[in-house]
Amino acid sequence: MARPGAVIEVDRNTPPVLFHFGEGVRLEKLPLGARIVYPPDPLDPIAHPERAIKRALAKPLDDDPLKSLLRRGMKLTIAFDDLSLPLPPMAAPDVRQLVMEEVIDMAAEAGVEDIHLIAALGLHRRMTADEIRHIVGDRIFSTFWPDRLYQHDGEDPEANVYIGKTSAGEDVTLHRRAAESDLVIYVNLTLVPMDGGHKSMATGLATYRGIREHHNVKTLMSSLSYMNPPDSALHHSCIRQGQLIEDTVRVFHIETTVNNRAFPSIANFMQKRETDWTAQDQAMFLGMKQFTDIAPPAFKRSVFHAMRAPYGLTGVHAGQVDAVHEKTLEAVRNQISVRVEGQTDIVTIGVPYLGPYNVNAPMNPVLVVCMGLGYLFNFYKNKPVLRKGGVAILTHPCRYEFDAVQHPSYIDFYDEVLADTTDPQEIETKYELRFAEDPWFRQLYRKSHAYHGAHPFYAWYWAAHAMDHAGDIIIVGGDRDVVHRLGFKCATTLEDAFEMAEQTVGRYPSVTHLRMPPILLADVE
Amino acid sequence: MTWYSGEGFSRLTGAVGDAVRDVRQVRRGWHWDSPRPRTWPEQGSVVPARASDLSWARQEPVRTIRFLIQRGLLLPFTEAMAHPKVEGREWVRDLERPVIFAANHSSHADTSLILHALGDRARDRTVVAAAADYWFKRPLLGNIVSLFLNTFPFSRTGGAQAQLHSSSQLLKSGWNLVLFPEGSRSPDGRIHEFKAGVGHLANETGTPVVPLHIRGAYQIMPKGQSLPLPGPVRVRIGKPMSPQPDEGSRQFTARVEKAVRALALEPAQPDIQGSWIERWRLMKPRELPYEESTEPVQAVETTTPPVKAGRKERPLSTARALPAPPEKPDGRARSAAAPPRASRPKHP
Repeated sequence: MARPGAVIEVDRNTPPVLFHFGEGVRLEKLPLGARIVYPPDPLDPIAHPERAIKRALAKPLDDDPLKSLLRRGMKLTIAFDDLSLPLPPMAAPDVRQLVMEEVIDMAAEAGVEDIHLIAALGLHRRMTADEIRHIVGDRIFSTFWPDRLYQHDGEDPEANVYIGKTSAGEDVTLHRRAAESDLVIYVNLTLVPMDGGHKSMATGLATYRGIREHHNVKTLMSSLSYMNPPDSALHHSCIRQGQLIEDTVRVFHIETTVNNRAFPSIANFMQKRETDWTAQDQAMFLGMKQFTDIAPPAFKRSVFHAMRAPYGLTGVHAGQVDAVHEKTLEAVRNQISVRVEGQTDIVTIGVPYLGPYNVNAPMNPVLVVCMGLGYLFNFYKNKPVLRKGGVAILTHPCRYEFDAVQHPSYIDFYDEVLADTTDPQEIETKYELRFAEDPWFRQLYRKSHAYHGAHPFYAWYWAAHAMDHAGDIIIVGGDRDVVHRLGFKCATTLEDAFEMAEQTVGRYPSVTHLRMPPILLADVE
Repeated sequence: MTWYSGEGFSRLTGAVGDAVRDVRQVRRGWHWDSPRPRTWPEQGSVVPARASDLSWARQEPVRTIRFLIQRGLLLPFTEAMAHPKVEGREWVRDLERPVIFAANHSSHADTSLILHALGDRARDRTVVAAAADYWFKRPLLGNIVSLFLNTFPFSRTGGAQAQLHSSSQLLKSGWNLVLFPEGSRSPDGRIHEFKAGVGHLANETGTPVVPLHIRGAYQIMPKGQSLPLPGPVRVRIGKPMSPQPDEGSRQFTARVEKAVRALALEPAQPDIQGSWIERWRLMKPRELPYEESTEPVQAVETTTPPVKAGRKERPLSTARALPAPPEKPDGRARSAAAPPRASRPKHP
């Protein structure tokens, strides 16, 4: 039986706590009385994933069995989530592969000749062939790549269609192949509550015109938080768009959930609470610490990015999107929810080496903000763990380091936009459209492996709520110039950061450390 | 007792001394370092040795040596130079009977690219027809190439019946055959007219032909270039084709040529490469016989091996049946036709 998440109060006997520090790790001693929030232990995975998938497809929620929807001569499209999920990438076989193989088996049995598979990228970068092969598996890749298995291109005017406006006046666009199909099957992997549901189609197969309707400062500032869909304006907008899509095309959703076993056995100490560390875990920590202290960043990165997470399937549901997503969210919350009493003056977060937008690339400073203040800060329900005006302390080396292939627009965003202002609203008004319509960024997004020109803006908006909510933001161990460019304060050690924070929150503040990853959702009372 | 004392050491030094003495004796007797003595009678005309079919290259332990050479040297080199993208490998994954691979030919790199594309199981059972007048002009070169690539001499200049006989013997012995029906490397990289031999051989032996198209090999090593340059390559493998009952050799050759040309086109050609449903079924993973088995190991050993699942759809099942392999008169022929050893990896 997996232990639920826990909030531990630091006393004299509490061991130092692990902080992620980019491509490194640190042990830090927290002040007495500080709280450490731990995620629940990984749930037991389903013993026979294939059987569970077959069962879900045979008995879908509020929909007909998939088999009855497939017929000879139909136009079938299967869309699936890209490599931004899960993190770290899942050890083979990926659950999407298992689901798609079952679906394709059924399609083959029904004699469906016209079948296409589309990676629903939205405005993310195109994946490499090897990355796609990892997600879909050898069998699907060899059968369909590249003419029937390909990636969504949100900037191809021929490949996308405008569907209409929602009741709130939001534009909706969709990949042409999906719009013209008799049936679209969406295969999703939900790691956090933000994923899945209507958002999958409304974002993954849309263009900039459709996505900007909810990826904007106003919507994101009203999403408190976007990790809890009922309170998220972002999700409300996606639901409106999704409903319009469902009026246009028949969609069958398949959503999967995994447990939070995010690290392989070699890095098991990252998975465990410090009080559970064995002698072997301590040795592994020491070994990794020494390695990460001396190894060059590029080498460390290649080692870290080679890690594959041994996630286990905890749920698979198929059928009508709302019914399916409700079940999916329930399964996700079972895995990551932790009850936390009250807010805190200071919240500390170790920012790891990997976020959704830097798979096989360094985490550049803009993505550090997106990860720390966008994703990790927003893992809450009801209200943030940090009180309004409190201090958020992140640990990350925060180097001036960009991947020119994946993040060309991020470089200009950092050099040009952040040099002018860090205010999300002003950035949106002055710069977003220019970057989004830049022909060079558009070309790189379409033909290379670059994120869309508007993507760094979204990464920044993602953190808008946290920047507005926090009184001060301190990055421990960061490059001073870079941190100042981001508009934050820099500290050398955690103790220094606490001292600096006292100037904002007063003496003897309450401190809470969110021990992520593995991820947790703080249900704050 | 030290290693250099005693009887063993004396015997070893004695053997080395004998060998040195023998060499010295021959050197003196046959005047290695001086002209041929005038007193010796004139040399008679040399009787040429009977042309070898290089059967030694298809026997153990040469097959194991070649397996190691290919896995350790040839395939990594090919991968590094060409990083070949292979499409349609599923058609040759589980070949249950010999086939003829008919490919376009624009470079010396073609053979290693084809072998790379085939996968371990099919590669281990494949011989390559190499031009006798080019590769086997110098016997040493021919033997080395055979060791590396399992080639056999294929005459381009005549003796069609004899050639057909030796090739069909190989097919009947269980070997797949790589043929380049153009006869020679293309001087300009384009596909040239196929010679009728491939259709003739397929018709005579009832063997299916697998069309292959190699794109990019000409850029790596065109005719006249002695060193390869790196470049991207795509190898596309088509659906096996069998001659129709009333189809002549020339018509069948024309059909094979058309298939290879079609494979060169973009995008994929379902008529030649098969529909996705056919390919999908072919790639179904084989179920392991011991999976979920509750029987003890001993019992499994004494029962007949279970039938492998997923073998309903075989690409070659509809092809004309081969005549039964002839009885092997001697042990040598039998070993040449030996099936792949169980120790060899079966899953490419």
